[in-house]
Amino acid sequence: MTVSDDDLLLAVARVYQELDPAPADIADGALARLAVEDLEVEFELFTLVQSVDTRVGTRQGSEEPETSATVALEFAGTAYRVLVRISDAGDGARRLDGWVVPALPMRAFLGPQGDTLGHTRQSAYADREGRFEFPTPIRGEVRLWLLPQTSRGDSDAVPPFVTPPFLV
Amino acid sequence: MAAHGASGGPTSSALYDAATDAFRRWRAGDEPALDDLVRIMSPVLWHVVRATGLDREAAEDVVQNTWLTLVRSADSVRDAQAITRWLCTSARREAWRVSKASSRTRPVEDEMIDARMPAQASPESEVVAQDESAQLWQALSRLPDRCQRLLRIVAWEPRPDYSSVADTLSMPVGSIGPTRRRCLDKLRLELAALG
Repeated sequence: MTVSDDDLLLAVARVYQELDPAPADIADGALARLAVEDLEVEFELFTLVQSVDTRVGTRQGSEEPETSATVALEFAGTAYRVLVRISDAGDGARRLDGWVVPALPMRAFLGPQGDTLGHTRQSAYADREGRFEFPTPIRGEVRLWLLPQTSRGDSDAVPPFVTPPFLV
Repeated sequence: MAAHGASGGPTSSALYDAATDAFRRWRAGDEPALDDLVRIMSPVLWHVVRATGLDREAAEDVVQNTWLTLVRSADSVRDAQAITRWLCTSARREAWRVSKASSRTRPVEDEMIDARMPAQASPESEVVAQDESAQLWQALSRLPDRCQRLLRIVAWEPRPDYSSVADTLSMPVGSIGPTRRRCLDKLRLELAALG
């Protein structure tokens, strides 16, 4: 039985994918590089204003999922606040979601603490309500970078901001 | 994420069409479409760049730089249908520049010795698939380096530009087609010898 060239090449593609795969975060790394490339402004460093840990017991028999252990953080800058919620998604997994007040579309990047944005590894978009989520955030000490999505050259452009490190 | 969303593989027209469409949308002002393009094409660029012999770290830089080059000079891509070729060629050129500038190239197969076969517990069907992968890998590694590189490129790159491939492999452009043919034949022979 002869395998066609196309099938053989498809198998070759797969074997390289298996044995020398692109890093899983290659696209996010590239997107983060592109995001910083556009910016010549400084990031405003937000401060932590509140931290609420609600990891006490779980509700059962209600409509809420059983795993609702949550840490809520609030960071603030001069004109904006960002609320971050880290919840237990079960099986030891975490989920991070957040929103920006006042709401505006943003691009959010999550990266290791102390790192520069150029090396962040996860990205998400905040919608018009300012909400964003990272269903499987990287763990450990992280920082969140938020880049308002306004047109280039817009004089009302909101400067981008970054949170201090926090623990996921 | 799968290496390529297209069921037909990386060189299928589905991937090519998705990339062309994303580029078109981006150029029409839809900013998030650039994300789509980056997600579709970055894994392809990875293999194209790795086929030049660059190490993993340098390859990742080259992929990122290729995207920067695109954003800075998107106007030079006159035809949306040429986007995959433009990206692959641009990535290859950058890889070539980097490998000339430093001697960061390492024969890919040396590095692969460290590479692990997928280790997760798997159902029997996957064990069979892994055996097949191992066999194909073994057959590939018996081919001359140039064959390995060429096959990796033509396996991953949608509609490659042969003149740019020829530059990378230091071969006359006219010999790419016949060499591809010979390399596939050799691979079949090696597979038969192993089977």
